Amino acid sequence: MSAPRKIDCQAAADRLYEYLDGELTPDAYDEVRAHLEDCALCFKVFGFENTYLAFLRARTRAQKAPEHLKKRIFKHILFDQDSAESQ
Amino acid sequence: MAVASDDRRTAFETEALPHLDAVYRLALRLSGDEAQADDLVQETMLKAYRSWHQYKSGTNVRAWLLTILRHTFINEYRKAKRAGPTVDIGEIEGYYVFHEVQEVDPEGEFFKQIVDDEVLRAIDSLPDEFRETLVLSDVEQLTYAEIAEVTGVPVGTVKSRLFRARQALQQRLYDYALEMGYIKGVKR
Repeated sequence: MSAPRKIDCQAAADRLYEYLDGELTPDAYDEVRAHLEDCALCFKVFGFENTYLAFLRARTRAQKAPEHLKKRIFKHILFDQDSAESQ
Repeated sequence: MAVASDDRRTAFETEALPHLDAVYRLALRLSGDEAQADDLVQETMLKAYRSWHQYKSGTNVRAWLLTILRHTFINEYRKAKRAGPTVDIGEIEGYYVFHEVQEVDPEGEFFKQIVDDEVLRAIDSLPDEFRETLVLSDVEQLTYAEIAEVTGVPVGTVKSRLFRARQALQQRLYDYALEMGYIKGVKR
């Protein structure tokens, strides 16, 4: 177990969304996390962006397919002989 | 053949239909029109049902459905340019909003006052390729690799589009929050 490689603020900022989206390799993730423990400003920026992404998720997922559309799908696709034909 | 057909129906109902809301949401954001979104969803689900044998069980069915939806939209529905202004994505400065608010609202409390409809309107103002990338990521929670597959571009392109789309959207929502008085601007 070696300590993560040191990275600077720019390198951390370049990986911000990959870090928050869980898209980094474990080593790259550890490097960013170690930087955030040392750098109060980056810690704040990451916190702010994390709040923003959580806000986007919370505000955009309420829309559901309307009932009439669900009925159409059932009627015209699942229980329609024509649509059962392949191609 | 009746048995095979029933099997397909059951598989489609249990695996594909749970993603109908996701398909509908992307259809709405792509087309910007409820009636068109309905048609687009129906056509997408019909195509998916007919080509169900091509779907590899165990892979991401949502990404597969969204890919069919996107192709259908581009090939058959996207005729005219969408109405309404789009934000200029070329001028995006990274982390601009945080730098503006760090003294007055470093934790982004002002976001909480912005309602769903306003967020969706702001998303709709993004240029096509940025809007679809952001929706696939932030609304439908696809991974970068899945977004790359759905939109047919390299992962690096997904990353840069997502960065610019999120920052442009944030800036627009911040401008709106300023206008509404949800947050006070910083005097320079």
